[in-house]
Amino acid sequence: MSDLAIDIRNVVKRYEEHVAVRDLSLQVPRGSVYGLLGPNGAGKTTTIRMILDIILPDSGTITLFGKPNTSAGVLNNVGYLPEERGLYKKMQVKRMLVFLAELKGLTASEASKRIDEWMERFSLTTPEKNWGEAKVDELSRGMQQKVQFIATLLHDPDLVILDEPFSGLDPINAQALKDAVLELKRRGKTVIFSTHVMDNAERMCDSVCIIARGEKVLDGSVAGVKREAGARNIALSLAGGMQNGVGDVLRDKTLVRKFDDNTNYFELELAANADSQVLLRRLLDAGANIERFELMQPSLHQIFLQRVGATGIETGMSGHG
Amino acid sequence: MDSKIFVVAKREYLERVRTRWFVIITLLVPAIMAGVVMLPLYMATHSAASNEVRHITILDATGAGLGDRLAKSLMADSSLAGGAGSDTIAPRVVNTTPAELPEKEKAASAEVQQRRHIAGYLVLTDSTLAGKSARYAGRNASGISEMEKLTTALRQEVMIQRLSHEGVRNDIINDLATTHLKLNSERLSESGRSGSGQAGLFAGIIVGVLLFMSIIIHGQNVLRGVLEEKSSRVAEVVLSSVKPETLLAGKVLGVGAVGLTQQIAWLGIGAYLMNFLTPIVMRGASAGASGGGPAAVSGALGGMSIGLLGIALAYFLIGFVFYATLYAAAGSMVNSEQEAQQAAVPVMLLLMSTWLMVNPVLINPNGKLAVILSWLPWSSPIIMPMRIGLTSVSPYTVAGSIVVAIVGCVFAVWLSARIYRVGMLMYGKKPSFAEVAKWIRYA
Repeated sequence: MSDLAIDIRNVVKRYEEHVAVRDLSLQVPRGSVYGLLGPNGAGKTTTIRMILDIILPDSGTITLFGKPNTSAGVLNNVGYLPEERGLYKKMQVKRMLVFLAELKGLTASEASKRIDEWMERFSLTTPEKNWGEAKVDELSRGMQQKVQFIATLLHDPDLVILDEPFSGLDPINAQALKDAVLELKRRGKTVIFSTHVMDNAERMCDSVCIIARGEKVLDGSVAGVKREAGARNIALSLAGGMQNGVGDVLRDKTLVRKFDDNTNYFELELAANADSQVLLRRLLDAGANIERFELMQPSLHQIFLQRVGATGIETGMSGHG
Repeated sequence: MDSKIFVVAKREYLERVRTRWFVIITLLVPAIMAGVVMLPLYMATHSAASNEVRHITILDATGAGLGDRLAKSLMADSSLAGGAGSDTIAPRVVNTTPAELPEKEKAASAEVQQRRHIAGYLVLTDSTLAGKSARYAGRNASGISEMEKLTTALRQEVMIQRLSHEGVRNDIINDLATTHLKLNSERLSESGRSGSGQAGLFAGIIVGVLLFMSIIIHGQNVLRGVLEEKSSRVAEVVLSSVKPETLLAGKVLGVGAVGLTQQIAWLGIGAYLMNFLTPIVMRGASAGASGGGPAAVSGALGGMSIGLLGIALAYFLIGFVFYATLYAAAGSMVNSEQEAQQAAVPVMLLLMSTWLMVNPVLINPNGKLAVILSWLPWSSPIIMPMRIGLTSVSPYTVAGSIVVAIVGCVFAVWLSARIYRVGMLMYGKKPSFAEVAKWIRYA
């Protein structure tokens, strides 16, 4: 048995006008929570669809738990929540869930038993109403999302793939989803999800891969990625703001590559080869009244912006979208 | 074969059979068909050639007693509804002369207009006696069967009159006049006699109509089902578990099974209704009144031999798979019901062009057109079972046509699967022909 839940090697997918995924290789360790990060149109969904054998790569190989993803039965061990949620609207909820579970190799009776448990757990069965007997389109949006989530996990897959799971969730449901992901991890499942919300990724993921324009920009464990990005960032608080020559020091391109000006609080990024201690001394010499001077690890958000760059992102689509 | 095909097929089948629409259409169609067959039959036995034919005035200006004999003949005709004797109103015969005729005719005309129980008047002149013409005027002058009755009776009386005039013996004349010839037609084929010709005709028509209706109804259902899966985006969830080909095959299989269930129900209910209704409709009608009509109708289902049913089943399966996969491909290309109708036009054209040929084939089941249509994969599933019902087709031709149809079917499945695979995940504007061609090449 392989230690990797997913092993993607040199995968390429071309469409008529553009290359959606360019020579992508990535490894997802078993039992980890893995974030697939990238701006819209980076190729996240295409990658996920190729993992699920929904579309075929033009070249390259994809193996799941050591077996090619095209071999029989492998996908029965994968649960998938697509970005565009979809259910059979005219079907009775329970019948539809049984159908989706049967497609994953479960027997109807086993599926039925599990559905009852899940429905209860998600309070879709209450003393007043058993929503399992209602038609899907009689359910509220929130309930439909719960049903979709049940469909993803009903067959107890070892690998769970969530495409943009947080889009369209209110804060309460978003928190419930985070809890669910962590519980899956506790039970030894592998979870891979795509997002462009870096905060979620930073908090939940063991490892991440950032892709842009179909190419891998970087990957590795969250801690490793941050370490590699280096502590080039400094949090600086000044009592009295940019007085005297302080502004000149901060604008010195040999020391500071750039800084966010927040009046009294600054986030700085050191220039290449610059020394943080030199900067500190220069600031003191300039008469700055320093309240805080802290070497910070960059957030994923900053790494993302730094590495993907403005050109990799369509305006208004980066960060906390 | 992927066992998940049956999971998909089972869902398609159960979800469709459970709907109210399925139940309604399954019950309604045989009821309507029975109505369509039974109503003319009812008309034929009960109201056609009604005894109104007797409620006329005969103006006889021949001076040869033709009017009296015609009146007697009409009264004696047992085929007129109600049966002989139950209706006591006899035609009123007015013997007149050619000179007085215009005046009498005016009076008779007024009488018809005023008195409801007189339907019209018949004028017999020397021209009638010469076997040339007679005149009739009345409210029922456009009733085809009544005029037919009157003409036949008159023609016969004129013939008797003239034979008698030529000196033929009376007993010979009577014998000639009562000759009733009935044509019993029977189909003859290589395998021997099989049912009456009319039963074969009905069987052929019923099989053709059922196949066509089933393909259209359930082909459209496949299209709508594909579109629903695509537009509700549930397709992506399903496709993460099964291959597109499996989903397509399961859908076509499931919907096909629905069509088959419906056809069996149609035939069963239809046969029951026919057997149940025929005696009721025929009650009171005297034997032989309408020739072989009713016998043919009730025998139509019996006229479908097991062999014909088996072949019809084979053709239904082939034809259904052919059209349903093409409908599925059309559904996978588009995003809305409106676009779907447009995308389905080429499929519809194939189907309708076949339907338009049904009538010529019925008229001449061995003609060149019928033979050509029996070999084209998109028309043979409808035309061939009809021809087999209508005429005798050699088993080699049937086998050959089935092979060609299967080849066409395989091609349609191949083509549709490629379009479907790409189309199901393609959103946005409706693809152009060139784009679809690319899908087929690259899929």
